[in-house]
Amino acid sequence: MVRTATNIEEEIAAIFAGNTPWVTIVWDDPVNLMTYVTYVLMELFGYSREKAHELMMKVHTEGKAVVSTGTREEMEHDVAMLHEYGLWATLQRGDEGL
Amino acid sequence: MNSEKGFKRHGSHSYVAQFDESEREVLLNLIEQLIELLSERVDHGHEDPLAALVGITSHDSLPEDEVLRRLLPNAYADEAQSSEFRRYTESTLRGKKQAHAMSLRMHIKSSDDGIVDLDHENANAWLGALNDIRLALGVRLKVDQSSPEHLELLSPDDPMRGVYAVYRWLGWLQESLLDALMDE
Repeated sequence: MVRTATNIEEEIAAIFAGNTPWVTIVWDDPVNLMTYVTYVLMELFGYSREKAHELMMKVHTEGKAVVSTGTREEMEHDVAMLHEYGLWATLQRGDEGL
Repeated sequence: MNSEKGFKRHGSHSYVAQFDESEREVLLNLIEQLIELLSERVDHGHEDPLAALVGITSHDSLPEDEVLRRLLPNAYADEAQSSEFRRYTESTLRGKKQAHAMSLRMHIKSSDDGIVDLDHENANAWLGALNDIRLALGVRLKVDQSSPEHLELLSPDDPMRGVYAVYRWLGWLQESLLDALMDE
């Protein structure tokens, strides 16, 4: 098969896709208390109260928020911790669109 | 269950609450149900014993029970990726949630006078367990942001009215523990 410029670009893109950061998203939930979501983000991620509160408010008003960024393995770890404490969380590649 | 008690901070690392007999009964009853619910799924004879030893199960689909679906949610929007993740992690997640629940049960059961005294780590386990109970009750009560009114308007003879009262009490109790933890 003749390699076109497009093929090569795709291959290069695929090579660098490994470096695309993954993100952990927390989704709004009608049961979890606002204070609880703030506290869990402080405890699990070591965020300041201000940062945790800001993220919680984003979840509450916009329906979701990216709470951490990193490798896929790191995000799987974060999602597992959030599930342990009952927050509704998923992970995805950062460029998949929110 | 309308007492203005809840958790209070004692010193720098101690969170204390006192529960009366009826409150302890309610908590124990709910926590036993949660522990039971989180027990491993009955398998269909295809479990690989070696894989099970390291927490890998053949369960890779969302639980059928609505409450379990909320307690053990999918980690990916994509079904195939979720299934793969679930095979390797669901058993561990059930275990961790059960450990939280068992911590709450142990403190309630071992208290003669109804006084519970938690350190920071135990307080986190309690928060997780109280939250799981609230999530479970919330599913059954169909708690929905768009229609919280229907719960306020339940008729006095509706059994869900009592469930809703417990749900609200648990939220209040959880909030009191959060206030104590964040009061620095």
